[in-house]
Formats: sequence, structure tokens, C-alpha cells
Amino acid sequence: MAFINYSSREIQLKIVYYGAALCGKTTNLVTLHKQITHAQKGELVSLATDADRTLFFDFLSLNTKTLPGFTTRFQLYTVPGQAIYNTTRQLVLKGVDGIVFVVDSHWEKMADNVESFANLQENLIENHLSLVQIPYVIQYNKRDIPNAAPINYLEFTFNNRANRALAFEGVASTGVGVLETLNAAARLLLAKYSKTPNANVTGLAKPNDSVVVPPPPEDAQVQAGNVA
Amino acid sequence: MLTAEDQMAIEQRLADFLKKSEAQWSALVDKGGNLFAQNGDTGSLDLSILSALAAGSFAATHELARRLGESEFSALYHEGHGQHILMSALHHECLLVTIFGEKTNIGLVRFYAQQVTVTLNELLHQAREKEAVAEPLLLDGDFMNDKAAIT
Repeated sequence: MAFINYSSREIQLKIVYYGAALCGKTTNLVTLHKQITHAQKGELVSLATDADRTLFFDFLSLNTKTLPGFTTRFQLYTVPGQAIYNTTRQLVLKGVDGIVFVVDSHWEKMADNVESFANLQENLIENHLSLVQIPYVIQYNKRDIPNAAPINYLEFTFNNRANRALAFEGVASTGVGVLETLNAAARLLLAKYSKTPNANVTGLAKPNDSVVVPPPPEDAQVQAGNVA
Repeated sequence: MLTAEDQMAIEQRLADFLKKSEAQWSALVDKGGNLFAQNGDTGSLDLSILSALAAGSFAATHELARRLGESEFSALYHEGHGQHILMSALHHECLLVTIFGEKTNIGLVRFYAQQVTVTLNELLHQAREKEAVAEPLLLDGDFMNDKAAIT
């Protein structure tokens, strides 16, 4: 939950990068740490195993002046993607304000992605939250791989709700889409503090604007069916 | 939400606690890792990181205790060579994090920590009551046009 300190004129907001194992959550934070030059940033902390797999979380703090009269401190966390660390994911979600759901574009990772998205919703419920309350954006990562799943299939699988979330294509390892994703998440969170919120304040496309996503190819339907 | 008065009152209690216990640094942190108030000296340590790690550590140990069937779990102590950390649970999803060195000892720090937690709980309760009836913070601007607020 956002914390407002009127004494130090500071707002603290927690954004959690969520997604399947090896989808690029930590890479997003590593790249952000390299790319961000203007915002005041802290050290990137990784609680990882010897094999560089996230064990607990990665953490990066950014101070910005995006709200008039206030310093906004974005606290970015990742969760461990591996299935065995579910309790840890629940703990990291405590007090979350916004979510970036990172999708691995590999065809063979679709089952893991779908499972992770379902797991996110379950863990939000554990924290008495839901995706209806928590602003979230989606990043389709690893768009540079040769066998990347088509965007319309990914949209159909992960963003096929009445209110569609903002979604970005990314290549976290090279920095493509990384800042855009974070800025979209940040704008959604900051809109809550606006006297005159933008019409797109929720960050979700209007229902009549929604792109008609064609059904996925038959083999993809089979794959999606297998993981449902 | 903390008003300037809340912040001052909490920092005053933390300062008193540090003076009595001879601890080095103390902070009020929530279980999500947000730093609410702090007093003392940690040198050049990044306090955001300290808060995030303290909250994570407490949460993990608390969960471990819960799974072991331990219902009473109010404090966590890490002993180092020169510096030690005591984390005490507060109400309203908050923690009191205290760092201390060789000038004092765990017994003294824990004794005064138990005293200050009572006062801090009262202050947190008052702050929570004020928050419940406070007007939401609303500022000029829609914050949606700046496509690259973070650069």
C-alpha cells in the first residue's frame, strides 16, 4: 500500500515484477539500473543463489520528482519465478501497489507463463488483493528470439479481459521496452493522485477500443488448452 | 500516511529509545519494506535497502515460525561480530528495526524496545485513525502525458 509521508513530502510505491522462471524479471531490473541516469537510484540488491537464480527478491529503489511537491520513491521488486518459492512470492507481494507481469515469448514457455499468471492471481488473493484493484502492465519479453509466439496469441492468452491492460513488447537484455514498461506502470500508480485524471487513467483500453484479436492458430489453441 | 506531527512524535520516541538503550540506529518500517521514520546513524548505508531487507527477513522468519506452529513470534535478533540487529513486531503491519554495537547489549536493547513498542503502537493507532478520515491526496496534473517520467 502506498505510503505518504507529509513531513518529508515523500510517497513510496511498491512495484513487483512477476512472471515465470527465467522470463526476464531480474534482467529488467538490471537493465533499468544501467539505463536510468536521471532519477536518483539506489544500489541493485539481488538475493540470488550461486547460479544467479533469484532466491528471495531483487530490489531497486528510484527517487523521482514526478509529482509536484513530492518526491516519489518507486521500490521495484522481483519475485523468484521457480515454482518451489511460492511462499516467498506471497511475501514479496505484501504491500504491493503495482505489478509488471513479464511474459516469456518462447512457445515452449507458454504453460509456465499461464501458470504464473494464475499463481499471481492466487497470491494476490492470499494478500486480500486482486488484479481489479492493483494496476498492472504486461511486458512480452524476448521478442528477439526466432520462435517467439505472435503478439496476437499472447494478447489472446494474457490480455483477453473486458478491461485490457497496457502491454509492451520488450527485449530486456538489450533494453528494448524496459523503460516504457516501467513508465506505464508508474503512470498508472501516479494517476491515483491526480485531481484531473486522464480519460485513460486506469491505463486500460476502453472496451470499444479493444483490438479484435483473432483466434490463435490451431496448434496454439491445443497448447493453451493443455495448460489451462 | 504520516503527518508531520506523527513523524515528529515517532522520531522523538525513537530518539529516546536510542538514548536509553545506547543503540546506534532505529527505524519504523512496514512489512512491505517502506521506511516510515528513523533516528540514529548508519553511516552511508542505503536506508531503503536496509528497510526492504529487514522486512523480507522478518517476513521469511515469521512464515517459518508459523509453519512450525509457533504462534507467538514478536522479535527477531541477528548477532554479528560488531553489529547486531533486533527486529520487533508492532501493530498495523509494522516493525521496529534496531541496529546496535558493542556499546550496549541485547538485554538492554530488548528491554527498552519492549517499552517503546507500546508507545509506537499507540502512535500508529492514532495515525491509522487519522488516515481513515483524511482527505485523499490529490495534486494538479494528470501525470499521464509525460511518457518518460523515469529516465
